[in-house]
Amino acid sequence: MCGVKHVFYYKSKKIVVNTLIHLFLISVAITCLYPLLWMISSSLKTQDMIFKDISLIPNQFRLENYVLAWKEGGFGRNFFNSIIYTVSVVFGIVIISSMAAYAFSRLRFVGSKFLFIIFMAAMMIPIPGSFVALYVLLNKLHLRNTPIGYILCMINVGLSTSIFLLKTFFDKMPKELEDAARIDGCSKIGIWWHVALPLAKPVLAVVVVFNALAVWNEYILALIIFDNRKFMPLQVALQSFQGEFVTNYPLLMAGLTITALPIILVYLLMQKYIIKGVTQGAIVG
Amino acid sequence: MLFKNVLLGVFFCFSVLGCSGQKCDLKPAITIWHWMTDRDATFQELAEKYETLTGVKVSFELYAPSDAYSQKIRAAAQGINLPDVFGILGEKRDFASFIKAGHILELTSYMEANNNNWKNNFFPKALAVNEFAPGNSYGINPGIFGVPIDIMTIQMVYNKKLFSQLGLNPNRPPKTIKEFLEIGAKIQAAGMQGLVSGWGEVWMIDCIANNYAFNIMGKDKVLATIKGQVPYTDPDWITVLSIFKQMKESGIFAQGLVTMINKSAEQLFANEKAVFAFNGSWCVNVYKGMNPGLEYGAMLPPQASEKYPMAIWGGAGSSFMVNARSKNKEEAVKFLVWLTGQDQQAYLAQATNNLPANKNSLSKIPDILAQFSRGMDYATHPNIWGVSEFSPVIEALDRGIQSIIIGEKTPEAVAIEVQKIKEREMAKKKAR
Repeated sequence: MCGVKHVFYYKSKKIVVNTLIHLFLISVAITCLYPLLWMISSSLKTQDMIFKDISLIPNQFRLENYVLAWKEGGFGRNFFNSIIYTVSVVFGIVIISSMAAYAFSRLRFVGSKFLFIIFMAAMMIPIPGSFVALYVLLNKLHLRNTPIGYILCMINVGLSTSIFLLKTFFDKMPKELEDAARIDGCSKIGIWWHVALPLAKPVLAVVVVFNALAVWNEYILALIIFDNRKFMPLQVALQSFQGEFVTNYPLLMAGLTITALPIILVYLLMQKYIIKGVTQGAIVG
Repeated sequence: MLFKNVLLGVFFCFSVLGCSGQKCDLKPAITIWHWMTDRDATFQELAEKYETLTGVKVSFELYAPSDAYSQKIRAAAQGINLPDVFGILGEKRDFASFIKAGHILELTSYMEANNNNWKNNFFPKALAVNEFAPGNSYGINPGIFGVPIDIMTIQMVYNKKLFSQLGLNPNRPPKTIKEFLEIGAKIQAAGMQGLVSGWGEVWMIDCIANNYAFNIMGKDKVLATIKGQVPYTDPDWITVLSIFKQMKESGIFAQGLVTMINKSAEQLFANEKAVFAFNGSWCVNVYKGMNPGLEYGAMLPPQASEKYPMAIWGGAGSSFMVNARSKNKEEAVKFLVWLTGQDQQAYLAQATNNLPANKNSLSKIPDILAQFSRGMDYATHPNIWGVSEFSPVIEALDRGIQSIIIGEKTPEAVAIEVQKIKEREMAKKKAR
């Protein structure tokens, strides 16, 4: 009798706890998803309907907002630019940061600790604070108003955090694996390429997603260093729907939906590695 | 192998993109940087028209939002890369710093050529924002340094339909504070919302407080207060602060006014949920987008005293400056003369719902815009006063008014607090 009571007690407790956890998680999920749903819903309404009709399902679906946003925002070229910038910057960050992190973790050289501290200190500098300095530097190097100048700046911006993440991972990596590779005749670059990088896949996924997001969403630096609209990324095109006093919400929301799709796709493709990266302690501190 | 291919691909992209930035265009052209998203399409149309007329190509380059545009302008000034024509956002001291650095061409001689031909087209108060008077505190040689493209005034608007529902004449808005407060009682009885405004963004409170200060004590006394010659505890300032208490008690304020942001206020008024709004002339464009059928009229804030005229904030909405280092500066000035001509200004106003800077264009613009434009006769702006109040004092005054509205403090207590801060700031300045 007592045993039945106990079973009943634990079962009820489990149900109550699970219900509470699920209610909490559902409410968190709703708060995350609601803005996305509102964005999609608003992208299908007219300007005055956004302010009059607060329901998520519009009376009439204005799909032409997407066509207008694409045309008026000049999304075609900007979309291509954003893809080029994101791929180039992320590739540059992955290569440079993984090499640097491996060197900081495994190679002993004079001033390595000092250099690492300098890189970490760079993480503390707010990016907008360095805009004017970057502008002047690029101007002197004749790289202002060129995509290569922007790409180099963005690689620089993402390096510190990526080096930190990768070094933390390489520090924990067993040295025996490298010894085995060395016995097999691998050079230092060979060990980095054949051993360290494949093992760091989960961390690299985190680095890729974080930096891809940062580059994809960046617009202030682009706006400052580019004078020519043909070099502008997608986010700058989005700003053209947002005025000082008047915002074209339907086109802005349609543009935002278009902009969000590729980055959601990147996240979905790398989701498995990201979760692995996070659970393996890729993000420390 | 894959790594090598990717590396080669990226190298190729870098090479192609790196080269594409350098392009030579021998055709003479004027480049204009601006932040006005809502005017960009019309600017482009006018630029095409100008090219057809003169053969001079004009490129309007839009960089929005305005805060990012400001950063771009500052960075470009540091790198001596400013375009032929640009606008400066911010306070008059920012404008002055650009002039001191030699970035802005003085336009007085162009304005005054042919018996002030160009100058006489503008509302004098619109031009005043771009002008530095003799003996100005910024140390700038007196002269005109900018061209107003449009103007703005900050006034009150009222909903004509709700006015009728309250049994009021929709073509006769209240002219005195007494009439205004009486409407407050009717609004409360009808269960409606009264005045909405972005008073959560405190600068709008500063604006209306200044309106009443000018009306109650006159410009000279307000400026004397800023100079530290009249204390904020003066009975006239107590009267100004008491107006907010009276308005609160009459029920004229909408709920949540103190923390309301202007976007919410605009939405409430556009959706016919508020009888009055205190807003800038840009609202015409905003309301049109939110509710094209809205019937409303513009009015001056109701007068509290007959001793001095009512004053409202107004002046140049946006202005363009010519780069003093530009090799195209003469062409740039010619274009600006054309852009501010009567027909171009009327077209710009009709297409964008902004008030024209050219006073001769008023007969060609919609009635509601003309109503706002007529307010220019009463317009003033801190940028043309020649003196500016300390920021902590402005903040204390605005926060104090918020406290009066929520019943936390009395007008007298707020006046004492503001005066204390004023004295502290003056002592600090003296010590420097």
